[in-house]
Amino acid sequence: MSVLSILVFLPLLAGLVVIMLPTAQQGRYKYIALGATLLQLLLSAFVYINFKTGADFSGVHQRRQFQFVEQTSWINLDLGTLGRLQIDYFMGVDGLSMPFLFLTSLVMFVAVLASWEIKTNLKGYFALFLLLDMAIIGVFVALDFFLFYLFYELMLFPLYFLIGMWGGVRREYAAIKFFLYTLCGSVFMLLIIIGLYFSVTDPLSGSHTFNMIHMMDPANYVGGSIFSPSAGQQLFGISARLLAFIVLFIAFAIKVPIVPLHTWLPDAHVEAPTPVSIILAGILLKIGGYGILRICYSIFPEAAIDSSWCIGLIGVVSIIYGALNALAQTDLKRLIAYSSVSHMGFVLLGFASLTAEGISGANMQMISHGFLSAMLFFLAGVIYNRVHDREIANFRGLSLLMPKFTAFCMVAFFASLGLPGFSAFMGESFSLIGAFTSESVNGLIPRWMAIGGSLGILLSAAYFLWTFQRMFFGELRLMGGEDWRIQLTDVNTREKIALIPLALMATLLGLFPALVFEKMNSSVLELIRLVNP
Amino acid sequence: MNDFLPNISLMLDSVLDSLLWFYPELVLGILFILVIITDLFFSKRFQNAVFLLTSFGLGVVGYFILLQLNAPSETTVFSGMIRPDKLSTYFKVILCVVSLLFLLFIRDNKELKSHDKGTGDLHAILIAVLFGMNLMVMSSNLLMIYLSIEMVSVGSYIMVGYISGTAKQTEAAMKYALFGAVCSAMMLYGMSLVYAFTGTLNFIDPAFLSGLSSVSTLSSGIALGMIMVGIGFKLSFVPMHFWTPDVYEGAPTPVTAFLATGPKIAGFALLIRLLDSLGGTKAALDFNEILGGIALITMIAGNFSAIWQNNVKRMLAYSSIGHTGFILLSVLAFSQAGQKALIFYLSIYALMNMAAFMLADYIEEKSGAKNLDEYKGLGQKLPLTFFLFVIVLVSLTGLPPTAGFIGKLLVFSAALEMYNSTGSLLVMVLIIAGALVTLVSLFYYINVPLNAYLRQSNHEVEITEIKTFKIYLSLFLTIIILVLGIFPQLLTSFIVI
Repeated sequence: MSVLSILVFLPLLAGLVVIMLPTAQQGRYKYIALGATLLQLLLSAFVYINFKTGADFSGVHQRRQFQFVEQTSWINLDLGTLGRLQIDYFMGVDGLSMPFLFLTSLVMFVAVLASWEIKTNLKGYFALFLLLDMAIIGVFVALDFFLFYLFYELMLFPLYFLIGMWGGVRREYAAIKFFLYTLCGSVFMLLIIIGLYFSVTDPLSGSHTFNMIHMMDPANYVGGSIFSPSAGQQLFGISARLLAFIVLFIAFAIKVPIVPLHTWLPDAHVEAPTPVSIILAGILLKIGGYGILRICYSIFPEAAIDSSWCIGLIGVVSIIYGALNALAQTDLKRLIAYSSVSHMGFVLLGFASLTAEGISGANMQMISHGFLSAMLFFLAGVIYNRVHDREIANFRGLSLLMPKFTAFCMVAFFASLGLPGFSAFMGESFSLIGAFTSESVNGLIPRWMAIGGSLGILLSAAYFLWTFQRMFFGELRLMGGEDWRIQLTDVNTREKIALIPLALMATLLGLFPALVFEKMNSSVLELIRLVNP
Repeated sequence: MNDFLPNISLMLDSVLDSLLWFYPELVLGILFILVIITDLFFSKRFQNAVFLLTSFGLGVVGYFILLQLNAPSETTVFSGMIRPDKLSTYFKVILCVVSLLFLLFIRDNKELKSHDKGTGDLHAILIAVLFGMNLMVMSSNLLMIYLSIEMVSVGSYIMVGYISGTAKQTEAAMKYALFGAVCSAMMLYGMSLVYAFTGTLNFIDPAFLSGLSSVSTLSSGIALGMIMVGIGFKLSFVPMHFWTPDVYEGAPTPVTAFLATGPKIAGFALLIRLLDSLGGTKAALDFNEILGGIALITMIAGNFSAIWQNNVKRMLAYSSIGHTGFILLSVLAFSQAGQKALIFYLSIYALMNMAAFMLADYIEEKSGAKNLDEYKGLGQKLPLTFFLFVIVLVSLTGLPPTAGFIGKLLVFSAALEMYNSTGSLLVMVLIIAGALVTLVSLFYYINVPLNAYLRQSNHEVEITEIKTFKIYLSLFLTIIILVLGIFPQLLTSFIVI
């Protein structure tokens, strides 16, 4: 039982404790959840500190270069002529996944602090919350595709209920929309997983396997099998491998989300209670990005190169479309939701460039957006909790009333719009540098995409600054009059405990980006070598 | 006449030898009589006598079936009438478990318990039906097929009409009997045609196949098609499914649960047998393709119709039609590989459906809610029930970490392997349709948690969750579903073929 297993199953254990405790003690549930997430945070800090870097620990497609590895046989079914169904309990981290562990733990910790506002059916809430926590960590550490899929699907139910039961007015609609969108992607992912399973054999035992790392090596494919790179099988008129790449990409892209498939996001983010919005924006979107790198790019590298141009275009469209939409929003949460679409566009642009700068930048952007969007949603939640309103136009001159809150907002807004010195600047600029140099390095995406992307930074400055100006400057004028003035108290200690680490991380990563870059550099290089040798 | 005299002793010997493979059915036969006698003479004094006797008897039957599992017969017995091989014995295990669950279900159903007739007769009918189902899964002769299907059908008609309290229930029983009678008449006609073509009723006889291949495709197609009608009635695939929703809704819930599992599973076993003997030849008629088409239509029609249902039992009925389509896919892939996949899926299917109907029944008894829109706000009042219900529905949808997912995975695996070896486009289409209807099925399954948890009821009613035996039983089944979802080898390691 190594540290990764503990990380994954600690929330489950805490969830069971919550279920066992009688409802009379429901005041304690949040402290149990807080304790579990705090412990998780410490454990992932331990993983971060003990994570070794260098060319010998790059991971990606080399089994022995992964760290904190756990591998035991889990399901072993003899299926007669179908061979053996071999599924391993296989976990490990490399530079691509490790930073997300820390991100998840911190965001989860903040989300628990934001859960103080939840007042009804606490037992159900915290049990589902902790189940979700387990599934998310599981997705980031799983190296067996079956295990990955298990955790991936397991995220759906808690989220459905968390949005549907504790959400806002249109929660029913938002929850089902979210559920169907995600399931739509993952059902077809299952078919690809089974197809891959029958195409790949374990070089040692010779039986078929779900091991992702084996799937990345063309030598392990059975000749003539459906996804074998050498066989070049066709399905419905296009290459089977390209089709598989597209199906998996869509499954993850729904999570990211990319522009034509993003419509669940504003609804889900807005209707969800604050802690769930934090989790959705802070972590869930990153699972999409992580999945694209870990699975789509690594298993189907040639298809990734073929589709680079399209992925880059989708990225640029997402950046600009998201930003323009954000400009038009009047609801603070909706604005943040659309800004997420825009910011995640940079991630795709960075991926598409397939340069060291681009992919590192994209990963950095995901981490940074994780902290910043969590902070933004927390801040939106602070206002909403007090007056149950988040129309931008209903607030004015808040800086006079809530100076500390304004300071936190300032950090979050300026960091998000890509001001140098904050993490988002690092992420966005590196993604753009990657996109810009791609034409001369590998010729995958044209320069105009980088230029289009930088337009997005301009637009994000516009909507963030404009919103900031409208809400915080000028004389105090509130929709609810005197009542609101009394209700709108400044941030309290609990909120500070949640906000300070996030603000700290945003600045820290902006000033010392090496904290992340160094840890993942060798993995990124290895990935690029794998995809584009 | 005198010519046959010397053969009589030989025939008697063979019958006596055959009896060795017939212990479970013998016990069932004796049990049937004992239960009737007990019900007639002792049920007044000892209320539990019939139940105890039946469950003990089923235990003995199960014991003999397990013994048979260790030493299955390689050949047919009773002059080629039945074939108690390993595959059929696995089916018998599933059927025995289903009957046992049904027995426990009856005991905790208010509607049946409070009926004037009492449940004694129902026990006797159950035993007779189980007897018929056992013969169904073992049969290797067309007449035996007919006999066993009729035996199961007649028993089922009585079960459905056992209460007939309301017009709806009577209608269901009537509809079922009429529909069944027509189907079995058609099947019998088909059999007589086949007999005319081949000169044998024994369908594992080589002469059977060669006879069928020698006549025109149209003739053999019509004859086999008519036999399929009879089997299709039991499986309720499209277009033989019209009785299903009405009967499932009208019958007492335990009976519905039983009909959705027991006779259906036996029907699948029969289908496999028949396909097995038809396969291997390139007869002019490609039966697999027709069945593939039926599977596709059944999957789509069942799942889409379920979306518009408001009555829970009707919804589960349509969902079970959808499942039939999916299981047909695995039956198709069966000839290539994956007996295990099929047996696993059917076992899980039985457990899931039993649990789902038990929970629906419990909810109906507690709150009177028969329709989905009456479930509003019940999630808080019956927390454990709905928690279990959601898990069971997740499993029916086929999502991890439940056994339903593993079953789906195995079926998809078998089908994909079949595609790999045959390259048949139909199989690919079926696979994709199978994935799509998973998504569709979510639309209606989600209505249960949607109403129970997300919506609030307009009028407050006081309901307390008194945990009855049924709840503990469904809890037990749900735990099995979850455990098998995470460690499927606990079940599959028992299936050695």
